Amino acid sequence: MITVENLQKEYKLVKRDPGLKGAVKSLFHRQYETKKAVKGVDFTIGQGETVGYIGANGAGKSTTIKMLTGILTPSAGKVTVNGLVPYENRQENALSIGAVFGQRTQLFWDIPVRESFNLLKHIYEIPDQEFAETVSMFTEVLNLEPLLGVPVRQLSLGQKMRCELAAAFLHRPKVVYLDEPTIGLDIAVKVRIRKFIKEMNKIWGTTVLLTTHDMQDIEEICDRIIIIDEGRILYDGGLEEIKVQFGQKRVIHFDLPELDSPFILPAPLLGMAEVLPASEGETKVSLSFDHERVKSSFVISEMMNRYDIQDLTIADPKIESIVEELYNRREQGGTYEQVLANS
Amino acid sequence: MNKYWQIAKVRMQEDTAYSAWYWAGTVSSILRLLVIYYFWQAVYSNRSAIQDIDLETMITYIVVAMLLQGFVGGVGQDLAENIKNGNVAIELMRPYDLIYKMFAVDLGSKLMHLIRGTIPMMLVAFFFMDIPFPGSVEAWLLFIISAGLGLWIGTFFDFLVGVLAFWTVNIWGVRVLKESLVTFFSGALIPISLFPDWLRVITEFLPFQAMVYLPVSIYSGMISGTEAYLAVGLQLFWLISFYVLVRVIWAQAVKQITIFGG
Repeated sequence: MITVENLQKEYKLVKRDPGLKGAVKSLFHRQYETKKAVKGVDFTIGQGETVGYIGANGAGKSTTIKMLTGILTPSAGKVTVNGLVPYENRQENALSIGAVFGQRTQLFWDIPVRESFNLLKHIYEIPDQEFAETVSMFTEVLNLEPLLGVPVRQLSLGQKMRCELAAAFLHRPKVVYLDEPTIGLDIAVKVRIRKFIKEMNKIWGTTVLLTTHDMQDIEEICDRIIIIDEGRILYDGGLEEIKVQFGQKRVIHFDLPELDSPFILPAPLLGMAEVLPASEGETKVSLSFDHERVKSSFVISEMMNRYDIQDLTIADPKIESIVEELYNRREQGGTYEQVLANS
Repeated sequence: MNKYWQIAKVRMQEDTAYSAWYWAGTVSSILRLLVIYYFWQAVYSNRSAIQDIDLETMITYIVVAMLLQGFVGGVGQDLAENIKNGNVAIELMRPYDLIYKMFAVDLGSKLMHLIRGTIPMMLVAFFFMDIPFPGSVEAWLLFIISAGLGLWIGTFFDFLVGVLAFWTVNIWGVRVLKESLVTFFSGALIPISLFPDWLRVITEFLPFQAMVYLPVSIYSGMISGTEAYLAVGLQLFWLISFYVLVRVIWAQAVKQITIFGG
């Protein structure tokens, strides 16, 4: 369905010296610097997969999605979506994809939602029967009935996002790109939106590529995640696998205000738990251990025998903490290979 | 084709979204017409002709020019805004030709302008100002063709100015300049035949006179016979040149977004 091979994108940015002097200088003489947003990405996504595409801000997520929709031409590498090269067959590709960009609206500002849908019907040449069925289904699942007659400019963010989603799925596209569809929404709307995406994937086998910073979205919608960082893929695999791979690990943070000498692991825990690197002057010690081999209660009781513990927290083995750990270790200077090997 | 017509219809609907603004448009069109009418009445109060143009011809010219001028603009403003706020990228993700889409939007606003501005102005012009019709059926037909050509030349030109936003981001200044150039050199303010010779020669080589001056001159009988056919031929030339230019520059602009990221 989607094949990406060694995909790269470079931008040329105008470099400016700071201040008014720099601004004036840039009028006459422009210096460019090249920024590599995507540095060689490979993946294949099959029909009906739901993939979470995650990474920190500026990691290259949106750039990749723009290349998949055909809005951007790659600097190097290959992309095909439904057998088409998006940037060469932009209009044809457009017929079989849908997209939501959480930060932009695609509906028509001044006319009621219903009219926007009607226009999309003509633009995507949706047959009458199919259109009527789709709209009535969406109306029910997304609870759009009270919104259909309201101009888009009068909708709240949550209401608007429900309509945007409906608009993206209206022509039953084979692939849908969702770029932060839940940004800024309350929990009730998020739940409804997740349910809708899952249902569309089930009924029509829509392939979904989702970027988000809300890991709950990923856990509920996706069966696979691709983690990208600084333009490269850090992890690509099943959601369950990453949980197994990382999720056996438990981390407990202990607060030891009385600690004056360097921390030594209690003897019974040697070889069973490891001390995670902590910043200097911190009174906190974090222990990481394999949940299958050692019980949390054992670790805690050994620590309590040896040290005066003021407080402790058990880190939650959710995808969120896994990703956070990946980012953190990366920031502390480890290479991707090390990060993955250590886990 | 149907999708473009639907887009035009939605634009008409959007134009009616703010009803106070809608009626204000009608009222101001009529007011402008009246001001111009009384202005020229005053100019002619002490004389019977200016360079062989009598009052009736002049009023006819000015009123028809005013009616046409309302259609000379286009979607440049919309396009420039889309470029500035980045929505043009989303537009490129739609299964339509963006140029045709923009022209469909333009058609929608022009139809609305026809209903809201032009028709009320026409009623006032014909019932209160006794504006005469063209002298013959031939002149009528030539006028309609010529006005249509002029309108599209104006639309394409406006589009070209709008596309500039790809390179300069802010085109406010360019637009102001464009408006004044068009208003003056198209002959919407005064007939080009009243310009001094040197200026008239320059004007004849510019595309602007094809927007308003030529069709209105055909209407008022200032141009007729072979000259009128030649005028329509000249308009065709400008129309085709502009269309080619629109396509070429647009292709460049799209390359600019898709390769440089806008």
